[in-house]
Amino acid sequence: MNDIPLGYFLIVSALLFSVGLGIMLLKRNMIFVLMGIELMLNAANLNLIAFSRQDDQMQGIVFSVFVLVIGVCEMTVALAIILQIYRHFKNIDLGAEKSRF
Amino acid sequence: MNPMIASFLILAGLTCASALAMAWTKNLLHAALAMFLCMLGLAGLYVMAYADVMAVAHLLIYVGGVLILILFGIMLTHTPRTDPYDVSNDLWTKQSGRFWALSISLSIFLGLLWILNRSMASFGMLSGEIQRSSKLTYLGLALLTEYSFAFELAGIFLLIALVGATYIAKHHE
Repeated sequence: MNDIPLGYFLIVSALLFSVGLGIMLLKRNMIFVLMGIELMLNAANLNLIAFSRQDDQMQGIVFSVFVLVIGVCEMTVALAIILQIYRHFKNIDLGAEKSRF
Repeated sequence: MNPMIASFLILAGLTCASALAMAWTKNLLHAALAMFLCMLGLAGLYVMAYADVMAVAHLLIYVGGVLILILFGIMLTHTPRTDPYDVSNDLWTKQSGRFWALSISLSIFLGLLWILNRSMASFGMLSGEIQRSSKLTYLGLALLTEYSFAFELAGIFLLIALVGATYIAKHHE
């Protein structure tokens, strides 16, 4: 019928993953890097959901719920750590002179 | 072109364009705005994949929660400007060398496309019928019966992460 072919979803998620990786490698700001990681996580999530379309057990959707939860946990803890790094070094750039990561 | 494909192309274009804008811009706040658009497009793509529950959950969590968290992070880690009368936007961020980032991500994208192109024939062997109905009832039942242990574990994990994050973010004198 009018269903979207599976390959389209996979191409979009491949592009999202590589753009997320590019952001992670390109940017110095830690919050920027975190946003890139989040983009890669969502690309994987889109794959899970696109494949579970044809699964009558819908395991992919259930798994993507847990991926969402883990992503949020990662985000909160990472932002708290970035906040402490900012308090300590007054700078959140990776590879900056002051912080020397 | 039928409306399903057309709306998919619009949503996919929104998602990909805002992701590329995130990579392009150097302004942290513009990147947060682009991430908002990207998450909206992704939620639309979930609807196109007949996963309505995940679309709503994704909107609630990412646009309502994570993005606000990122904005607070941007505000709290904002380096104060030296000249108080300078009203220009100073959220510019530094970048590493463009060459390696561009070449690595482009080669990974092309490699993924190559793999997808080679395995496209085997996707036709996925035998299951596409489920077009709403997944809400099934997902609720599955989370509370078959996956109840993992569900409770995820709840405890969220609690631990939130308590840990507030403890880490506290002022330690």
